[in-house]
Amino acid sequence: MMRLLRDLFVFFQRDLRIASTYRSPFLFETIEALFGAATFYYVARFVDSPALREALPRGKTYFAYSLVGLVFFDYLHAAMDTFDRSLQEARDTGTLEPLLVTQVSLPLILIGSAFYPFVASTLRIVVYLGWATAFFDFPLRGGNWLGVLAVLLATLLAFCGFGVLSAAYLLLFKRGNPVKWFILGVSSIVGGMLFPVDVLPPWLQVIAYLNPVTYALDAMRAVLLDGAGIASVLRSLLILLAFAGVLLPSSMLVFSWVLRRTKATGTLTHS
Amino acid sequence: MSDAAIILDSLEKWFPPALGGWRAFVQPFAFPTLPALRGVSLQVKQGEAVALLGVNGAGKTTLLRILATLLLPTRGNASLAGYDTVKEPAAVRRQIGYHAGSDLGFYARLTGRQNLQFFGRLNHLAKKFCADRIADLGERLGLQNNLDRQVRTLSSGTIQRLSLLRALLHRPKILLLDEPTRSLDAIAAADFRHFLKTEALRAQGMSLLFASHTLQEIEFLADRVAVLDEGKLVAFDTPAALRGAAASASLEMAFAKLTGRRIFSPEEQLSS
Repeated sequence: MMRLLRDLFVFFQRDLRIASTYRSPFLFETIEALFGAATFYYVARFVDSPALREALPRGKTYFAYSLVGLVFFDYLHAAMDTFDRSLQEARDTGTLEPLLVTQVSLPLILIGSAFYPFVASTLRIVVYLGWATAFFDFPLRGGNWLGVLAVLLATLLAFCGFGVLSAAYLLLFKRGNPVKWFILGVSSIVGGMLFPVDVLPPWLQVIAYLNPVTYALDAMRAVLLDGAGIASVLRSLLILLAFAGVLLPSSMLVFSWVLRRTKATGTLTHS
Repeated sequence: MSDAAIILDSLEKWFPPALGGWRAFVQPFAFPTLPALRGVSLQVKQGEAVALLGVNGAGKTTLLRILATLLLPTRGNASLAGYDTVKEPAAVRRQIGYHAGSDLGFYARLTGRQNLQFFGRLNHLAKKFCADRIADLGERLGLQNNLDRQVRTLSSGTIQRLSLLRALLHRPKILLLDEPTRSLDAIAAADFRHFLKTEALRAQGMSLLFASHTLQEIEFLADRVAVLDEGKLVAFDTPAALRGAAASASLEMAFAKLTGRRIFSPEEQLSS
């Protein structure tokens, strides 16, 4: 276990060192988050109406509702994107081959490479919410932070399976990412990012409730905006963990098969 | 228990053709029809240096990549230090230092030392041991002034030396080197060969399997030479025995005779 953590830290340290050689991105991203929060604040003010308030869960402003949707969706995007992006970078820079002859396995290389992007995404959430609280009256004080952590972890586990599947696709077919395209594309419509799924036609609602994003966003809004306890979001958490229970082992199986196949065809390090 | 460091038993590797355009859609998984290795059997003894000699496409790199667990053989077996490359790849990787011959493979924005520390830690080297080893090998390979520069600012020869240092960092039992001196200048190449022979092979008893097109390098380093031609092992003996068997004065001429190719003699080259 200690060795595993040490290995993960080695990857984190590598990415932190690389990131620190670029001087300006963090500053620009921080400022960009302020612009993003401001945009949502003024859009929310502009579209606010009794009909909209009626459609939203009780006591929530559209600004708070949509900002949590947007920021958290960005996090899911990172969870799905990070595995295949790290694989692609390693392949393009020629570091994949030297990594593969070290004593860590490819799944661990992928997980280790995802460590820093996850931390960076979490920080981005903090920055977004920080600006929104400081300048736009975002209701942060009532949040249940333990609940936020639990939802983040459950979501991360559920979405890592998709991330591993998209890395497997990239390894096999070299370009494109239908897993990401499908999950994120569908989720932006039926995942409840900017509007409640209740406003969708019934057949789309069925798709929404088959999608883990819906449960992740519901639970996150409940713990962050309402300060709901773990018990009130337990159902969503269990559904997310069930997704993880199915997706993680099956995606690892698919990945192992793809790894074997690319080693057989000699295309493992091809781009 | 065999005293062989590397055993290849009827090793075969076939690749599928790379399809493009509409055929790639119709037939996303092609059958392996292109031979790269055809029934290669040989043994490398512990502490022995064996060179792989062959024209481009003869199968040298494919062979090294199978041994480095980056490729699966189509048929036959390969084992290193008693571990099978297919069934026990993690154990195989603990035994080997691999240099792919390319000047890629490093994080361009990290320094040489940071890169080496990263790979050393992934080979589970203790921090202090890793730091000492980088300093020691860095000095021996003439890298001491370049270790703290970002890799993107280094020449390809320097990056190649970094790659060789990385292969040696964790004191592997078996070295697999693909064209180890390809990008090195004549002095650096000679220094490295000397270092390999005196330190890695003689002092530390490592076994070495390397591919090279530099016959002078092969003569200097190799105890035996495996001549590959179109994936087949056509000869495997000491350089002197190969010259004798082909009744040739040089390894170059012996190689040409063994593979049925014609090489222009120095006189012919001058007169043309």
